[in-house]
Amino acid sequence: MSGGRGHQRMAWRGRLLVAAVFAILLWAVVYPNLTVIAESFRADGTITLRHYVQVFSTPSELRALWSSIWISAATVLLSALIGVPLALLFARFEFPGRRVLGALAAMPVLLPPLVGVIAILFLYGESGVATRLLQSFLGLQSPPWRLQGASAILAVHAYSMYVYFYLFALAGLARLDPAMFEAAASLGAGNARTLTRVVLPMLTPSLAGAALLTFMTSMASFSAPYVLGGGFRVMTTQIFNSKLQGEVAMAMVETVMLATVSLLVLWPLARWEGSREYVAPSKGTSAMRVPVRSLWARVAVPLAAGVGVLVLVLPHLTLLLVSFVRDGTWTTQTLPPAYTLENYRELFAETHTFRPIFNSLLMAAVATLAALALALAAGQLIVRWRVRGRRLLEGLLALPWALPGTVVAIALATTFSAHQPWAARWVLVGTPWILILAYTLRTLPLTGRAALAGYRQLDPSLEEAAASLGAGPWRTLRRVTIPRLLPAIAAGASLAFVTGLGEFVASIVLYTHRTRPISIEILSQLRDFDLGAAAAYGVLLMVLVAAAFILGQRWVQSGSA
Amino acid sequence: MRAFLELESLTRVFAGTPAVRELSLQVGEHEIVTLLGPSGCGKTTTLRMIAGFERPDSGRVVVDGRDVTGMPPQKRGFGMVFQHYALFPHLSVAENVAFGLETAGLGKAEIESRVGRALDLVRLPGTQGRSVSSLSGGQQQRIALARALAPAPKVLLLDEPLSKLDAALREQTRRELRSLVKEIGMTTVYVTHDQEEAFDLADRIAVLRQGLLDQVGPAEQLYRRPATQFVATFLGRAGAVAGTVEGVPEDGVVMCRLGADICWPALAPASAPLTKGAAVRLLARPEALAFAPSDQEAVLNGQVTERRFAGSFYVYRVSAGGGELEVQSDSSDAKPGDRVGVVPRAAPAGLFAFARSAGEGDGA
Ligand SMILES: Nc1ncnc2c1ncn2[C@@H]1O[C@H](COP(=O)(O)OP(=O)(O)O)[C@@H](O)[C@H]1O
Ligand SMILES: [Mg+2]
Repeated sequence: MSGGRGHQRMAWRGRLLVAAVFAILLWAVVYPNLTVIAESFRADGTITLRHYVQVFSTPSELRALWSSIWISAATVLLSALIGVPLALLFARFEFPGRRVLGALAAMPVLLPPLVGVIAILFLYGESGVATRLLQSFLGLQSPPWRLQGASAILAVHAYSMYVYFYLFALAGLARLDPAMFEAAASLGAGNARTLTRVVLPMLTPSLAGAALLTFMTSMASFSAPYVLGGGFRVMTTQIFNSKLQGEVAMAMVETVMLATVSLLVLWPLARWEGSREYVAPSKGTSAMRVPVRSLWARVAVPLAAGVGVLVLVLPHLTLLLVSFVRDGTWTTQTLPPAYTLENYRELFAETHTFRPIFNSLLMAAVATLAALALALAAGQLIVRWRVRGRRLLEGLLALPWALPGTVVAIALATTFSAHQPWAARWVLVGTPWILILAYTLRTLPLTGRAALAGYRQLDPSLEEAAASLGAGPWRTLRRVTIPRLLPAIAAGASLAFVTGLGEFVASIVLYTHRTRPISIEILSQLRDFDLGAAAAYGVLLMVLVAAAFILGQRWVQSGSA
Repeated sequence: MRAFLELESLTRVFAGTPAVRELSLQVGEHEIVTLLGPSGCGKTTTLRMIAGFERPDSGRVVVDGRDVTGMPPQKRGFGMVFQHYALFPHLSVAENVAFGLETAGLGKAEIESRVGRALDLVRLPGTQGRSVSSLSGGQQQRIALARALAPAPKVLLLDEPLSKLDAALREQTRRELRSLVKEIGMTTVYVTHDQEEAFDLADRIAVLRQGLLDQVGPAEQLYRRPATQFVATFLGRAGAVAGTVEGVPEDGVVMCRLGADICWPALAPASAPLTKGAAVRLLARPEALAFAPSDQEAVLNGQVTERRFAGSFYVYRVSAGGGELEVQSDSSDAKPGDRVGVVPRAAPAGLFAFARSAGEGDGA
């Protein structure tokens, strides 16, 4: 049972909480974007469409918009083509090494966007390891390819985003009733027919979710086009460039455009996704996986899986390799000639090298706590109290997800560069607070989703049972609600923390030297050609991300025991 | 018996549709009352209003002379057993049972001994350290009961507590449940849609239909003198034929004309008096009817459509008088297709006349 139960008349403390949650979310999520919209129509103190006319009559602007859209569509297609078959392979077949390989297939999530890009650069870039190996193997004069432009962006996107399809399809397959396969088989359907008529249709909601996520992520993607784009511009890099060149009004219009396109795509897809949900009706005893039987398949399937997975972890390995390269020794050789631990020692040895690590950890932690608190409060309001305006509240939690990081950053930078306390504006630019605010906003959809899912799975009769045993609201919250929400909290918090830790897109707009996070430091080391140091920071991030995930997972399991 | 729990014309409307309408009911001290009715009739809603989880749109809940309508559930001191038990999965058996004792602020030693006693009571001693998920369905049900009983509540509320158990276990558990609740003398409201369960458990049964209370009384009274057609058919079996009222009802008995020279006496409901000539539907319990030679007086002739073996007897379905009757018989002589005569055994017992509303057909 759920929904629509009456609640006691709300105490004033409850009303205060409702008011506070609404006020904070409106102020942080909506207000800055309204400021951007207002600025995009403003010139010399009057309201004008001038900037829009200018943007829409500039071919390079329209090209950037079109590039963003087609790159995103192509990314969705490529990611699906890699992720779905991989998921089917691991979910349906039993073969030696399945567990390990299946876990490794999700490895790209360990690489924050910028780290993924530089890892691929170290591997397949003009002077990357793979490129040099192939070049010397074939005896070529110049590198066999150049990792630049649209195809390079697409390659990086497919590499880092197929995981969405892989994980969503796996989750969808796990929800399917394995008896379905047997039912299809008993009705005479072969493998292909079962796949097209039963499995894929039933996976549609999951795949739609993955497509949505991939498209949005790709639209918002900044690191890959920024590092690898060369002359090829997408909207995010276009905005960044306008801002850099002081064309503030143009940046505002571009920001509005990017946000609009993202929202336009999100709206119908999100509704469609929500309207179709298949749930396994029974947890039967049928086995999900079938052992691989024929001899050639017994060799071919694990081999293919192994090779595939190797390709997926090569960037990680390369990053690790480069992090041991002694500064200035790797010039023209195929593989680095000299190795050292010096790069790692330096990370922690000096204040200025440790500073970014400290910044990232602290800012991500504070942002995670803030986003978690907001999400839990909102979850209570939406699911439990069913307050009026709960739809709006849910929308506010999810909105930053639809807004590319660049948009969020520009909006915050525009809004919080003025001191107008009467308009709830303060100068936050230049302080760590603006980065924390940006991280909080960017992670809010993650904690929000987790909190809402947690609250919705929480059997309301547990809380009622506590009340019937005399427990007041606080006691119920402490003894029943929070412990039951722990898995959701852990999942949301670890995702949020990891996102904040590696954040780059918004940071590059908002950082100062004093508040620079790890990602920015990686970029500047790269600019100084200190590849080893950049890689060491990258590996550190990778390890921190993995640790956060593992800890989160532990917590998830301990809570659901 | 003194009324301990009183419901005074409770009404609850969900989005314009009333789930419970003007429901009034009194439960005596130490009494077990069952709310019986088909799914969706408002049983859970009624129970939740008693517990305080649902606020009535109008009406009052009074306990021991005190109005508790606006009181939050945690202040009421009622024990509740939920349909799916709602055991706290993150707490052990002992912690679950101790939950209500802790909120009452009891000392550690006191809690421990009372947890032990509660577990003894439900015959699961020594399970303190177990996790609730390691228990079987029947055991979980008993822990849920122990948890509700441990703080010695004023009233015990149960919402279909046995619906998750299989049939054999259900029957055994409900007998145990009754003797346990009777032993400690708990005032109890028990929700179920299962008529047999209500018969086994209740001192009195309250029959709900579409949010309305049709009748309250001991099982026997409901079976022997149902107040409505719904009660007659929901509790026990009954066939029905159409007739008209002949003469004025006397002492709650009315003559019903079923054919040219066929008149059967039947029990008439006290609430809605029948007038001469009124169209009625006559309901008959299978055991109240017998086969008879077709030339006997007041015989209703019909045709057997179905014969069912029910252990020590047979139940025949007979299509007669524009309706369908069921006849219980020890003999297996008649078979489908045979023409038979049917008479009441000991009229008016087991025969009930209810007014047929206008527009209703003659059929059953
Ligand atoms: N929270 C609610 N919101 C809307 N309708 C409800 C709610 N709870 C119950 N109802 C409706 O009220 C009616 C009675 O429900 P319920 O009391 O649960 O019935 P029962 O327990 O007898 O099966 C049903 O039609 C049900 O759909
Ligand atoms: Mg119910």
